[in-house]
Formats: sequence, C-alpha cells, structure tokens
Amino acid sequence: MVAHSPVFTALRVVELADDPGGEQVGKLLADLGADVIKVEPPGGAASRAVGPFADGDSAAIADRSLTYWTYNTGKRSVVLDDSAAGRPDRDRLIAAADVLISTARPAELAERGLDFAALMRASPRLIILSLTPFGLTGPHADYRSSDLVGLAAGGLLNSCGYDDHSIPPIRPGGNQGYMTAATLAHCGLLLALIERAKSGQGQLVDASMHEAIAVSGELANPYWFYPRALVRRQTARHAQPVPSQPALFECSDGVWVYFALILSDRRAWAALVSWLDDRDMAADLTEPKYLDLEFRQREFAHVQEVIEAFFLVQDSTAAYQDGQGRGLPIAPVRAPEEVLQDEHLREREFFVPVQLPADKPRTAEFPGSPYRFSAFIARPRSPARLGADTSRVLAELDGDGSHHGGQA
Amino acid sequence: MSLELATTAVDRVPRARTGPLAGIRVADFCWMGVGSVATRLLADYGAEVIKIENRKRLDTPRKLPIYRGVIRAYGEEDTDPDPNKGGLFNNYCRNKLGVTIDMSVPAGHELAVELIRRSDLVTENFAPGVMERWGLTYDFMRTLRPQVIYGRMSGFGHSGPNAHYRSYGPVVQAVSGLTFISGLPGREPSGWGLSYMDNQAAYYASAALLTAILHCQQTGEGSEVDLSAVETGVGLIGADLLDVTVNAQATRRDGYPTGNRLQHPHAAPHGVYPALGEDTWVAIAVFGDVDWDRFVAAVGSPAWALDPRFATQQSRCEHQDDLDAQVAQWTRQRDKHETMRLLQAAGVAAAAVQNSQDLTDNDPQIAARGTFFELDHPVIGPALFEGTPMTMSRSEPDNWRSAPLLGEDNDYVFGEVLGLSPERLVQLSEAGVI
Repeated sequence: MVAHSPVFTALRVVELADDPGGEQVGKLLADLGADVIKVEPPGGAASRAVGPFADGDSAAIADRSLTYWTYNTGKRSVVLDDSAAGRPDRDRLIAAADVLISTARPAELAERGLDFAALMRASPRLIILSLTPFGLTGPHADYRSSDLVGLAAGGLLNSCGYDDHSIPPIRPGGNQGYMTAATLAHCGLLLALIERAKSGQGQLVDASMHEAIAVSGELANPYWFYPRALVRRQTARHAQPVPSQPALFECSDGVWVYFALILSDRRAWAALVSWLDDRDMAADLTEPKYLDLEFRQREFAHVQEVIEAFFLVQDSTAAYQDGQGRGLPIAPVRAPEEVLQDEHLREREFFVPVQLPADKPRTAEFPGSPYRFSAFIARPRSPARLGADTSRVLAELDGDGSHHGGQA
Repeated sequence: MSLELATTAVDRVPRARTGPLAGIRVADFCWMGVGSVATRLLADYGAEVIKIENRKRLDTPRKLPIYRGVIRAYGEEDTDPDPNKGGLFNNYCRNKLGVTIDMSVPAGHELAVELIRRSDLVTENFAPGVMERWGLTYDFMRTLRPQVIYGRMSGFGHSGPNAHYRSYGPVVQAVSGLTFISGLPGREPSGWGLSYMDNQAAYYASAALLTAILHCQQTGEGSEVDLSAVETGVGLIGADLLDVTVNAQATRRDGYPTGNRLQHPHAAPHGVYPALGEDTWVAIAVFGDVDWDRFVAAVGSPAWALDPRFATQQSRCEHQDDLDAQVAQWTRQRDKHETMRLLQAAGVAAAAVQNSQDLTDNDPQIAARGTFFELDHPVIGPALFEGTPMTMSRSEPDNWRSAPLLGEDNDYVFGEVLGLSPERLVQLSEAGVI
C-alpha cells in the first residue's frame, strides 16, 4: 500500500523535453516511481527560466522556478553539454534506458544529431515517446507552437471566451494545450510498455499536441460531424450552436458561482424554487403557472433576475453546500488559494508535502496524484537542483549498468 | 431483440481484436462522458469492452439531440429518443460491445456477476454508492476473480464529506480552480466553453487503467483505482498553485488572470488578433528578440514595427496595448490561414483559431495524419470519428465498428462469453432482464 509499483521503479526513462507537455509525461512516470533522468543543457532546461519563482521574481534563478517544480517532480537532473561534445554521454544514457521522451521537431532532431531509427536499431527494446507540436510527419511537422497557438490550431480556443464577440477567444490558464497532449501521450507510452511486455520489442510513439487538442473539443466536433453546426463561445459555459442563458452568478462575498439551470428538468426546478422559498426569495416563482415548461421558458428573463437577486445575498460557500444538499449541481468558482483550504480535499489528504530543493530545508504542498491505486502509490517527490545527479548518473553508466531508483 | 438482429450486418459481428490490449475483457458499467471516453481508448487498442446498459434508464449521450440534420442545444434532451440515433453516443462508444441488463432483478444481477467473473477489468462512473447497493465491491469482485482491476471514476472521489456532490465538467472546473484562472482581469472569468475536465478526467482514467494493467501483467496483482475529476483538475492548475503554497501569493488580486497575455515567460506580441471576416481570429506568440526579428521581417518591416518602444522584449511588454493595436491592424486585413502560413514560414509560432469545420475540411496536417476516420453505422450512416492523437510504429488502433445499438451484442456476450443457451436468452429477453 505504501510502495511504488516494482514495474515502475524498474523503469529507466531519459527525458529530453523542453516544453511542459514532455515534462509532464516525465513527471507522471516519476510520480509512479520511475527513474526519470532529465537531461538539461548547462544553463538548465527552458522551464527553469520561467516564473513565477520561489521568493519572488527578483530571485529568478534556475533552482527556484515554480514552473520547473510543477512539471518536474521526482526526476534526476543531469547536465550535458548541448553541443556535439555532450552527445556520446547522451546516447549512452539513451542506450541504457527503457524509454526516451523527446519534444524535438524533425528539424531540431537533425540539429541535435538524434536519429530515432538508429537508436531503436541499437536498442530494440527502447520505446521512444515523441511528443511534438504537430507530430513528426505531415506538412506542418516543423511548425512552431506554444500553448496559445496549439489551442488555437486544435480548435479548443474557438470554444472559450465571452458572450461579447468583440472580445477574442480567451486562452484558459495552466498550459492546458500541453497538458491535454501530455495525458494522451502518456497513454500511448503505457500502451507501448504493455505491448513490449508481450513482444519484447520497443517502438516509436509519435504523439502530436495538435491532434490531441483536435480530438478534445468535446461537443464541437460531434456538432460538426452530425448536424453540421458550429459552436459559438459563451461566457464560462458550453459553446453551443444556439445561445444559452448565463450561468455565472455573483454572491455576497464577491465569489461567482456556476449554476446552469436546465428549465426542462422538473426536479431541478422544484429544488430551486423550494430553496428560494425557504429563504423568502422565490417572488412569484411558486405560482402554479410556472409548472408549465413553456411558461417558464417565456418568463426566463424574469426567472434569471430572481436567481441573480437570490445569489447576491448568499455566501458562496453556503450556496455551494445548500445547493448541493438539495441535489443541484452548483459550484463556487474557486481561486487556487481557496482550493487549498477545501475541507473535502483536506480530508482526502490530496495535497502532499514535498521537500523543496532550496538552500534551507523547507517543504511546500504540491497537488497529489489524481489517481489512487490500492496496490501501489503514485505521489510527487522532490524536484532536483540543476545538475544534482550528473556525476552519479554518469558513474552508473560506467559501473555495472544496474538501475537505480529515483530519489526517495 | 428482433429489431437489432434485423439491422445487424455481418461485419458488425464481434471478432477477435488486434492491438496491445487484445485478449483483455472489460465489464464496463460506465456511462455519460468521463467513463465512456476513458474506456474508449481501451476499446480502440483491442480490449473487448462490454458496455452494460439499462433499457429503463438510457445513457444520456443516447438521448442528447446531436443528430444529423437537426440543430438543438446540448441541454435539450429528446423526450422520445431513438436510442440508436445519437451522434455523441456513437462518438463515445465506438469499438465497444453493447449489452443490456436490468440490474434491479436477481437474474440481471447474476448476469453481471458472471460477466465480472470472466473480466480482467470492471469500470464504473456512477454516483458513489450505486455499485455498493448492488453488492459489487472490490472485495466481492476479488472473490470472483482475484486479479481483477476495478476502475472507479467520480467527480469528488469515493471518500470525503463531498463525495456525494453532483458534478459535471463545468462544476469540476469551477471547484478545482481552473475556471478562476481563465479570463480577462477585472471581470468575471471566461473559463471554459466545454467540459474540459470530462476529457482530462477520462484521459487520466485511461492512463490509470493502463497503469494497473501493466502492473498486473508483470506482478499478477490486481488493483482498485479511484479517480477524482476535481483532484485531476487541481493537479492541472500549474505553477500558480505553487505560487500560493510556496510564496503565499494569492491569485484573487488585481490584474489576475491575464487573458491571452503571457507573464511566465514574458512574451509580446502574444495574443489572439482579428483576421479577415466576422469573428475570425489568429493567434500569435512571439517569445524573444529572435522571434521578434523574424516577425518584423515577415510583416514587411513597416515603420511601426521599428519603433524603439518595441525594440526589446521588456519594452514590448510595457507597450503591449499599442503593440497589439498595430499587430491587429496588420492581421485584420488577412485571412487567418494566410497569416498562419506566412508567419510559420518565417519561423514564428502562429495559428488560425480553427473551428471544427476548419479541422475537418481545411487542415492539411489533420488530413495527412489521418486524425479523423470514418465508420458506418446502421441507423446514423457513415460518420466521422475523433481518432487517437498518435501514430505508433508497432501498434495501431483497431477501429472495427461504430457504437453498439442498444443491446446489439446480447446474443454474443450472454451466449458465447457466458455460455447461456438460446432458449435462456429468449426467456431473459421476454422477462425484460436483458
């Protein structure tokens, strides 16, 4: 119950990733116990230069990037010269690995002297996970990308923004284009590991952020594939081919709640009216004429006003508990600092203390693993200081070649 | 039964599957979005996923009016749906087998137990408590099959004070912080125009099931898996969460979030700009001075671009309002794809904000990679499907069939897998058990 799976602790991964997508796949493996060796250039991976930084942006140094820490828990850090001088060690590391994670586009592979076919010929059990912006093949294989650009190209951005269409589509936060690509690429890698256990053969998994986003629009593609309708963005609620009612309501504490009333749902209507009535704020909604769906639909602007007035005098946390207690799918729009205080997450011990690679011993809470297994654990471990494991990892290569687990 | 038999073409008859998961059987109680998408990946790669449905309570995607030729909002359920007409169900349940079981009667419960006995995985995403009510706990399942993998997916997980709270994508996104971190400063969040977390929770659940399969394959040990969509969402907030835990920096502050502008790292221009045509946009991301020089050359080195205020990354960020106005002046005269091609040719990250029509009809990369594929369906006809976003050199998805008609595979599963006689099948059907 308290140990990693031996299948993952035996897994040796070399990560050549310089975007959050590839780094996140390495993190997911490291959290399961895999020995993930992150190869970085002398100045550190690109993410080490991305803020925010521990102790503020004025402390912008490689070992204080919260972006790096987010996507690189539990890995070992090895610094190798990124010119040709570092390549022999890099290639020896890859030859001794089960998995190589790469985010380089075809042109970058050529520049860096990485030849996947040759690596796989030399190590038939090697699995290469290539996660690139557009995939290794096709006319856009060398197109550049970013989280914003990826979300735009893949269609997800088209669904996100405000009712006011003079405002452009708005990118949701948190590198979700890369995160979508990472989760699906992780699945591809796991499939390849399952296949290798049967065949003894590795393979190349060529995953593409563009495709990952293009298949993750939820309703957008089915609406095009079937009724040939295009969805249009709406504020914080589903993009639809036809407009729907606003679903954000402001509460007395200034926090918004999300509540999408489905007028045709009689049970939800009854629960809402009884809630309003218990607070003496139902106005005329208790009148029998509102039991008629068409009447409710005709009067929807009025219904919406009554709900707006109601939430304006509710505390968001109380509204969450009361509404959910009445079976209504309602939720406060929580800021991250409020998420950290959530009693439900606290009781489940979701957040876990992680030792920070800081000068003074210090821990901070990180989000735990989203899946829990009865047979083994997955949880984040300390991110590494730049180059912390270089000499040890290279010594292992020169030694008996036996695998060492990641840091405890 | 007779209706299904009449419409079942020969090529829809279950056959041995190919792919890395061939030989793995899943008793799949999943419904709605998250569960169905999670087990879809298993079905794509060869697992025999047997979707267990209830004729008295149809899976919602069977009822949502995403039909050929009819445009209706997502919330408008069809009051008298043809359960075999729904496009969303077809999209979620391709490559799966479909059976119907009335779990409320003993004979139905017994069928489920026998199916679990012959399955490597059991999956579900009901409200917490439903499987327990049926006595289908992990401990009980292990008496049927010691190595069973039991995958559970829910909004809040199966413990804790809010485990019973109702959730769907927008609720998960709000509670987990992902809505708050998305929008322009100084106004309500724009959040998400989709159930993003339905997808991500499903993908994480797929990964969790594959992880448990890999563990079992090499150790012989099964596992119970509990996946919470909310916890998955919190794990995706990113560095802003550590800014709270490490720096005590609250996000409920002026100027946060920053919309399409990027703070970490600084980048400018970085935004979504108007293109030729109403409500048509192009995204551009310029990260440093090398990018900027390429951008300036690509737009033809106009005088405004040579303004000293735009000479360095820091200065471009400080004058971003003026910079964005100039960039918008340039982009609005051009087709969104033309801008993308021109800037990409110069080595600048840029893309048209594409809609589903663009992806389907006007995206040479999607076409070359074969991301979308077609399968026929007896009621719906040929339809496009969203494939898996990767190409594997040794393993291909086995896209053998569109989604099952309601109860389409009762004969195969109950007859051939469980070994019931044709007479018994008729009895069960007439009694409404299947």
